[in-house]
Amino acid sequence: MAEKVPVLSVQDVHKQFGDTPVLNGVSLDLFRGDIKVVIGPSGGGKSTLLHCINFLVKMDAGNIYLNDTRIDQSRKRELYAYRQKVGMIFQDFNLFDHLDALHNVMIGLVQVRKLPRSEARQRAEAELERVGLKDHMAKYPAELSGGQKQRVSIARALAMEPEVMLLDEPTSALDPELIGEVHEVIRAMAALGMTMLLVTHEIGFASTLAKEIYFMDGGRILEQGPPQKILFDAEQARTREFCSKIGRLNENSD
Amino acid sequence: MIEELLFIRQEVAPELIAGLWMSIQLIIPSAVCGLLIGIVIGTLRVYGSPGLKGFAGIYVLFFRGFPLLVQLYLWYFGLPRIGIYLSPFAASVIGFSLCSGAYQSEYIRGALQSIRKGQLLAAYSIGFSHTRAIFSILLPQAVRRALPGCGNELIYLIKYSSLAYMVTCIELTGKGSILANFHFKYLEIFIIVGAIYLLLVSVVSVGLNYLEDRIAVPGFDRPKI
Amino acid sequence: MPEGIIVIGENLSYILGGLWVTVAVVGGALSMGLGLGLLLALGQVYGNRLLQRIVGVYVWFFRGIPLLVLLFIFYFGLLSALEIDLSPFTVSIVVLGLISSAYQSQIIRGAILSLPEGQFKAARSLGMSDTRAILFIILPQALRLSIPGWANEYTIIMKDSAVTYALGVTEILARSRHVAERTYQHFWIYILAGCIFLVLTYIGTKLLQRLEEKVRISGYAH
Repeated sequence: MAEKVPVLSVQDVHKQFGDTPVLNGVSLDLFRGDIKVVIGPSGGGKSTLLHCINFLVKMDAGNIYLNDTRIDQSRKRELYAYRQKVGMIFQDFNLFDHLDALHNVMIGLVQVRKLPRSEARQRAEAELERVGLKDHMAKYPAELSGGQKQRVSIARALAMEPEVMLLDEPTSALDPELIGEVHEVIRAMAALGMTMLLVTHEIGFASTLAKEIYFMDGGRILEQGPPQKILFDAEQARTREFCSKIGRLNENSD
Repeated sequence: MIEELLFIRQEVAPELIAGLWMSIQLIIPSAVCGLLIGIVIGTLRVYGSPGLKGFAGIYVLFFRGFPLLVQLYLWYFGLPRIGIYLSPFAASVIGFSLCSGAYQSEYIRGALQSIRKGQLLAAYSIGFSHTRAIFSILLPQAVRRALPGCGNELIYLIKYSSLAYMVTCIELTGKGSILANFHFKYLEIFIIVGAIYLLLVSVVSVGLNYLEDRIAVPGFDRPKI
Repeated sequence: MPEGIIVIGENLSYILGGLWVTVAVVGGALSMGLGLGLLLALGQVYGNRLLQRIVGVYVWFFRGIPLLVLLFIFYFGLLSALEIDLSPFTVSIVVLGLISSAYQSQIIRGAILSLPEGQFKAARSLGMSDTRAILFIILPQALRLSIPGWANEYTIIMKDSAVTYALGVTEILARSRHVAERTYQHFWIYILAGCIFLVLTYIGTKLLQRLEEKVRISGYAH
């Protein structure tokens, strides 16, 4: 029965920017190996939700539990340990601009995990090989394509051995022809059983991967369910409208 | 003509070289301390607590706002009246360091502020503390970006080191002045002194350009004028 | 401390008497620097290769030698060698002006080079001569862009003007020194002197900011 405890549990998160409410009580659970996808119109609070889960944006109210332990963000040590266990992938990569690919992956291992340099280097090399960038380790961010940058950032997060990955529109800043390589890496993570919460507009990709899709708008989860249901048989009019729009867009781009 | 050259070689050169050596002894510690002060003050201005930010702001206001010569007089002539006695050399190094630090801090501050916020978020997301993120992610980038400005400041420091003479620290300009007065050869000797500064400044700027290229990272724009 | 304040109160008007000398030196040097700097900048951007070289050497020379040494070269060296009689006040303006012209030329040059090439082409396409194009199209834009650089140059020259005291110009620092020697209140007197310079740089910077806003063209990217 211990299996029933979610790895990551998000409870009733609220957030306002100034007078504008962005999150109005969002709750969700991720069990081990779950892959859940958040979709919804821009400005619906998806990205803010992920930032709040990682405490990169301070939430106004709400709680986050990792393996049933509530995270208290005022206890710095606890917070840093938590963030290592919850990997975050940003829309615009956020690679460290002054470090080459290898050192982007190494720096967390050396500075945060305190691994000896040689061990950190081995680990980093292995992670970069895993995302198919063995030959680009000495390149600086400015010398990498968008897809390669995003793969380095995934390697950087994976190197910390996270239990959960949060992916904030990992392909939305990429040229269309580069999206595939990043999807491939995400698929490989899924195959290894990584627990993931993915925000994306790539509904086709999402539906092949996700166990459950959340539709978010106006700072709330309006509807949730298996991909087939949300995409083709949603209960809410807003969800249907959004999915048909996105569906048409994706068809046109194909 | 030969006589002139002989005079320069025997009477002028040894003195001026001694003066130059003293100038270098003034410049190097001042440059190092100035840069360190600049990094600390610049970082505090961006990431310090409100109190520390205020302190750093006031520091910059006064040490950039007062003419350097006034600052030197304050340290050399002013402090003894409240019981602190500094040698001309110490007063000069302290004066140069504090003033240079204020200017350097502006370059560091600008560079820190130009770094995109995502760099900090990414550091947090893999478990960095605020302090560690500043030291291992932001400052290495900021220092690279600030390098052209900091190098410029070093050039200024070399030139302003001549003001040490005004608080009786006998460096290159001071030696030149003494020689000129003694031999009544003002034009010749001050031109030689000027040429030495010109040479020093030129060598250092070539060195700085080389250093910039050495630590350059692709994608880091380095404005060159 | 109270003693220091009393001394400041008693001598403030005497020290502030140096204000006009400081302002005249700075004003004179900046004006001279602007006129000469403008010519140098035009020479460096539009001149032939020889002229560009000459300007380059000029700039290198006046940016590479300390102010104090240049003051000594001109006042003690050149004047007596050429048997000219000029006051320390005049020499200070000239030397600061020459240095400032080297720096200002680079400010203006940078501004000219930052203008899109199309501006010159468009002016020529209307049948303007090159001189007219520079006078009526390039410079009005470049000089606007130079104002922030000038503000910076103003603060530097203002502070550097204190060095002219070395030649005996009776500006603010010189008068402060007299008072300090007489009253033994060096500490407070020099703080006062520094604050006077601080106020002067502040006022000047504010005025230039106002100028910048006044001549700003809406939508003009900086």
